[in-house]
Amino acid sequence: MEVKNLNKFYGSKQVVENVSFELPKNKVISFIGPNGAGKSTVLNIMTRLISSDSGQVLLENKDLKKWNSKELAKKIAILTQTNHITAKLTVAELVAFGRFPYSGSNLNKEDRKHINMAIEYMELQDFKNRFIDELSGGQRQRVFIAMVLAQDTEYIFLDEPTNNLDIYHSSNMMKLVRRLCDDLNKTVTLVLHEINFASAYSDYIGAFKNGKLYKFDTVHEVMTKDNLKSLYNVNFDITDFNGKPISIYY
Amino acid sequence: MQKKLSLLNKLQLLSLIAICFVFIYQFIFVDWNFFEYAMYIRTPKLIAIIICSFCIGYASMIFQSIINNRIVTPSLLGMNSLYILIHTSLVFFVGLDNPLVLNKNLTFMIDVLLMAILTIVIYGFLFKKTRYNILYILLSGTVLGTLFSSISNTMIRVLDPNEYDTLLTELVAGFDHVNTDLIMISILLIVLVFVIFFRDLKILDVLSLGRTQTINLGVDYDKSILKLLLCVSFLITIATALVGPISFLGLIAANLTREIFKTYKHVYLMLGSFLVGLIVLLGGQILIEHIFGFSTQISALVNLFGGAYFLYLILKNKGV
Repeated sequence: MEVKNLNKFYGSKQVVENVSFELPKNKVISFIGPNGAGKSTVLNIMTRLISSDSGQVLLENKDLKKWNSKELAKKIAILTQTNHITAKLTVAELVAFGRFPYSGSNLNKEDRKHINMAIEYMELQDFKNRFIDELSGGQRQRVFIAMVLAQDTEYIFLDEPTNNLDIYHSSNMMKLVRRLCDDLNKTVTLVLHEINFASAYSDYIGAFKNGKLYKFDTVHEVMTKDNLKSLYNVNFDITDFNGKPISIYY
Repeated sequence: MQKKLSLLNKLQLLSLIAICFVFIYQFIFVDWNFFEYAMYIRTPKLIAIIICSFCIGYASMIFQSIINNRIVTPSLLGMNSLYILIHTSLVFFVGLDNPLVLNKNLTFMIDVLLMAILTIVIYGFLFKKTRYNILYILLSGTVLGTLFSSISNTMIRVLDPNEYDTLLTELVAGFDHVNTDLIMISILLIVLVFVIFFRDLKILDVLSLGRTQTINLGVDYDKSILKLLLCVSFLITIATALVGPISFLGLIAANLTREIFKTYKHVYLMLGSFLVGLIVLLGGQILIEHIFGFSTQISALVNLFGGAYFLYLILKNKGV
């Protein structure tokens, strides 16, 4: 997947400026940067939730806009922070929606297999038949991930998946992201606020500042004192922990 | 599997009740000496009631799912006021003896056409302009509705009392003056609507997951929403042209159905909404014909109970 010269304006304010990069396959890529840096906007453009004013997003060398929307849904999946659902849905029913691009509402054997695998992978068997609105935030997050897994896509995009989760659930989420990449060969791209999570669990980091892509490189290249300081305007110290650069900011 | 069966059972039960009501309505207090005459009077009304509850039931359920809110009805789009405006202007500008007014089929076509154009132009345009913000649509629908009724009120004020009297029978919903010609054309139009929009109705289940998830699951959201709104507007137009504006029926039908079925599956929800609407209408009509002795119209009853139910809904779900 490749992003070429993306530009996006809100009114006269440019929120994304000339962003280009290539998404490495079978890796975990984190987007970091201060608030309003454009990282979520880029993620949303890459998943066709919003349109860019100029520039292209290429998937298998074909512009996203030229893809059939059903076919595209078999290639990329996105999960945003706001998943407010008013309908009465059980866990299994929500996960089954992941098969919509393939079979609509008429599920076949293949679909059932994918749904059951996703439910098992996310360890949701015990509350398969519970209603979504009876679950805690962490559990609900897992259900949505299961749905994305049932969708069986090559690319998975997560917009601030650790938002509203406590330390225990956030670190579990990040471990899961790692497993999605290592065990299931997915390319996972996520927007993160916690830079240490980004450092500890990703392969690549895209750092955004003022709508521009400040740096896109491996974790060790991006996580340096100077980079982070110019990114956030805060003093940083970098220490090494199990081979991963961990930042301390004050 | 257990759950699916019980949904089906509920639907069967509801159908049974509806069929009972149909028979009660059709055959209650029939003087067997005048059986054929009674049937001649009652059958068109019955068919009109069925068509009306079908249209309103489906339209309201679809509309609520598009907006993702349980306490809205399509009347918020200003359709009812537009209907009143069209008919008032017709009487006002061309008079009662013009074929445009006399020929019910022609008036019906005008209704359908104008309301569809309004939906496409105003709501389609607004939808794009406001970046698919449904709240703006509702707001402008309400404002437009007020504008339409203000214009019609102004015209009504200078109207000849006789003309106004004739007009009034069309503006107040009721099944006592159903035009048999309209029944055929309505059924045809409904079939057409379902042929055209069949594929879009299938995405309603997904739509309850919100815009982001709908797009994620491979649905062309903007196009589908516009088509569904168009479908709603057609159905509402048919119902309104047939019997006049009944705004609260949809609210009652859709909400009672959601209460009964507690599911997201729109196959059940839409059919249920139709059946509940049918039961409410038939029950109301039986009350009016045999207890109140035609002293009131169905819209009064529906609005009375609809209003009360609406208040109850608001008080119950303070969060909505």
